[in-house]
Amino acid sequence: MWNYIARRFLQLIPTFVGATILAFVIIQIAPGDAITRFELDPTVEREQIERLRQQFGLDQPVPVQYAKWLSGVLFHGYLGISLDYRSDVWSVIRQPILNSMVLVVLSTLLIFAVAIPIGVYSAVRKYSLGDRTLTFLAFFGLAVPNFFFGLIMLYFAIWVNDNVGRPILPIGGMTSQEIGGVPYLEAPWWQRTLDVLWHSILPVIVLSTSGMAGLVRIMRGQMLEVLSQDFVRTARAKGVAERMVIYKHALRNAVIPIVAGIGGLLPGLIAGAGLVEVVMAWPGITPAFLQAVSAIDIYVIMGLITISTFLLIIGNLISDLLLAWVDPRIRYN
Amino acid sequence: MKKILALSMLALAGLAVAQPKVFKGVEAGKAGGNYRISAISDPRTFNPFVARETSSTNVIALFLPTLTGYDPYGLKPEGLLAQSWELRNNGLSVIFKLRQGAKWSDGQTIDADDVIFSATAHADPKVNSNSRSSFVIDGQPVKWTKVDQYTVRADFPKPYAPALIQGWYIAPEHIFGEAYKAGKIAELWTLETPVNRIVSGGPFMLESYAKGERVVLKRNPNYWGVDDKNNAVAYLERYTFITVPDLNASLAKFLAGETDAYNASNADQVAQILERVRSGGLKGEVFPNADVTTGTEFIVFNWNNKDPNKAKLFRSVKFRRAMAHLVDKKSMIEVALGGLGQPMWSPISIPVKQFFTDDVIKYEFSPQKAAALLAELGFRKKNAQGFLVDASGKVLEFNFVTNQGNNTREKIAQIFAEDAKKAGVKVNYRPVDFNELVRQLTQPAADGTRDFDAILIGLTGSIEPAFSRNTWQLNGSLHAWNLGVGGQAPKQVESFEVLIDKLMTQGATTLDPAKRREIYVQFQKVVAENLPFIYTVAPAYNPARNARLGGLFPKAQLNSIVGQFPYIETVFTKE
Repeated sequence: MWNYIARRFLQLIPTFVGATILAFVIIQIAPGDAITRFELDPTVEREQIERLRQQFGLDQPVPVQYAKWLSGVLFHGYLGISLDYRSDVWSVIRQPILNSMVLVVLSTLLIFAVAIPIGVYSAVRKYSLGDRTLTFLAFFGLAVPNFFFGLIMLYFAIWVNDNVGRPILPIGGMTSQEIGGVPYLEAPWWQRTLDVLWHSILPVIVLSTSGMAGLVRIMRGQMLEVLSQDFVRTARAKGVAERMVIYKHALRNAVIPIVAGIGGLLPGLIAGAGLVEVVMAWPGITPAFLQAVSAIDIYVIMGLITISTFLLIIGNLISDLLLAWVDPRIRYN
Repeated sequence: MKKILALSMLALAGLAVAQPKVFKGVEAGKAGGNYRISAISDPRTFNPFVARETSSTNVIALFLPTLTGYDPYGLKPEGLLAQSWELRNNGLSVIFKLRQGAKWSDGQTIDADDVIFSATAHADPKVNSNSRSSFVIDGQPVKWTKVDQYTVRADFPKPYAPALIQGWYIAPEHIFGEAYKAGKIAELWTLETPVNRIVSGGPFMLESYAKGERVVLKRNPNYWGVDDKNNAVAYLERYTFITVPDLNASLAKFLAGETDAYNASNADQVAQILERVRSGGLKGEVFPNADVTTGTEFIVFNWNNKDPNKAKLFRSVKFRRAMAHLVDKKSMIEVALGGLGQPMWSPISIPVKQFFTDDVIKYEFSPQKAAALLAELGFRKKNAQGFLVDASGKVLEFNFVTNQGNNTREKIAQIFAEDAKKAGVKVNYRPVDFNELVRQLTQPAADGTRDFDAILIGLTGSIEPAFSRNTWQLNGSLHAWNLGVGGQAPKQVESFEVLIDKLMTQGATTLDPAKRREIYVQFQKVVAENLPFIYTVAPAYNPARNARLGGLFPKAQLNSIVGQFPYIETVFTKE
């Protein structure tokens, strides 16, 4: 077991170097660099542009830039400097990552809490009206693009607020400037938490509707498969109550692949919630990443790739270990 | 020590500010209120020596002073921290008198030491401030010296017309001085710095910053300004930038009354605001077509083309006039701008009244005239596909690009490409990545050639034509149609380019306003006639506001240079 974990960690090194080299090269292939966008400003002199490139080491060959960056990451845990903000990459991405986690954690919990019961219901009442309705809704959520649904939700919020005459739903953002007349930062912690939760209602709904469909279908398929197996028939034949059959025997077996997939959610924690963050003005990692890409802020991009590669590898490992834990048939030796 | 002495003397005299600046508002205002505006991204820094983009300088401008600026009512130079000035040596030297008694928010005096220090740091190539070009004129430095505690002197290497516009930020020496000597000036006032440690010398001071969400500034009680009734300004208690990266969401915030001012960028947005105002959902106003924006959009042909035939063609003024005759500005305004815009014919932006002239040659849309001019160049026959060919059967064709993602620009480019094709010119239009476009435009190969045929691009306009000398002088880095290598003039120049170069130099060194206008009028005529850039259309300025704001310009006074109000100091909220 420990042997297996150690081996997985060793595999991490070539994967990591390969992934970062690939990312670094791809960023460099794109035309221009972080300084290019200043070149069309008539008031900026050519020598200023050249000096900026020197300051950031952008005039050096690409392998040298990569080697410097890699040694910083490996030996000092230093992710580099943001060329756009002129400060430490970690200080640029830390807060957006935490903000995104709020959305990702809440929507993931909501997805699991809703999708599993729906999946079970759909399997038990196969092809009933309820099954069809829920499946239709799930696919509808999957089919509507998040950014578009987000915009609809914004206009929905304005409509609700107009009709009620009070701000019932927030129009984007993550916090209010003032809570009950007190500046946000001076309000007590529980009021601040409630404020963030209130702002997260709409983005979490948008995220959950799109994430739910897949899980509902997997859960339904798994349940159908398990319910048709011999041991379920045996249990029913023995006269076990239908509730017990479904929840104790069938569900526990059907849920195995989903538990095993939990590790895969780990990199998603920092990958952010996608374009809904941009539309809803949620200060998450997606707007920060898009800004970094458009500014070719190379080390911020690399920093995010580094962290998500690392978490992806760790997440896969956790998945494998969880699988062994929930499924006694699997052993790593 | 001197500062402490001055401070105690002032305290004895019982004066807050001995020589306050009077900010004349549009109407009488009252204190209090929060002005909220959306910003497309966060500031990158609060450090005036590091800041490069408007997302940062828009914030810095609220808490750091400049010596002078443009008077919002007449666009003439106006003293800000400088109370007055004197010209000496035929304008080669300017003596600025500073406002006595002006203080930083931490109580220290703002005096000549701060000004000289800031000038030194901005001018230092190692600091590489964005304002460095204000301190170098044609490669020679402007010398700043302290005369006494409240007087500074600037010596210019040659007469310089915009000498009175000193719009760089003055930073407190007592905070930045040590760090500058240690070469660590860029490490101060980053986004990580606690905002209460950032000192203000402007109308507002930083109160809080939430990354990705908002920057809040509060009124600076130590500010050196008053209104025309000697009341302290700013009236506003708070100024809030709300970060909204998505443009639709930013409009939604304005419609919901969560931000106070907005610039509608197209007809669709104007319609949405009008609709909401009519339905009573928003108490506010929108002013479509109030003015024209200052940006310029133009088509530029590459005279340094790798293909010598194309280079020769693009150098021919007849060819460029023919192309200008194929630019259907009316359709561009209708289709690409939704009817909200104006045609442009020459380089100076329409709102810059003191220099703009409409009296230039206009090569209006006329496929017939274009065909006649092209026939003079030898393109008389059309081939089977309907494209013009010369005597040897070579098709008249060129590649045409603009930057991807700018919808208005892409539409303008398509309209031109379609009209040109109808006239028999094979225009191969393709949008490309912005950075790739910049590379093609600005980076010649070692032999001086560049690899594009024609580009549709824009440059930000400014009030002061002298600041665009990089575009028009022969050795300028943005002399985009005919670019020299390594900061040199191009090898082969036309006589009109030499004339433009001469006019730009004259314009920058002539101090008499009437003579300057004459020079720039001639400059516009030369450009419109020779078309190094073929100008297209300028989008309209369509400002919108929430009715809770007071102190804003009435419709007749709105202009895209100053914006919706003369000074932020005299804006107020009515509730």
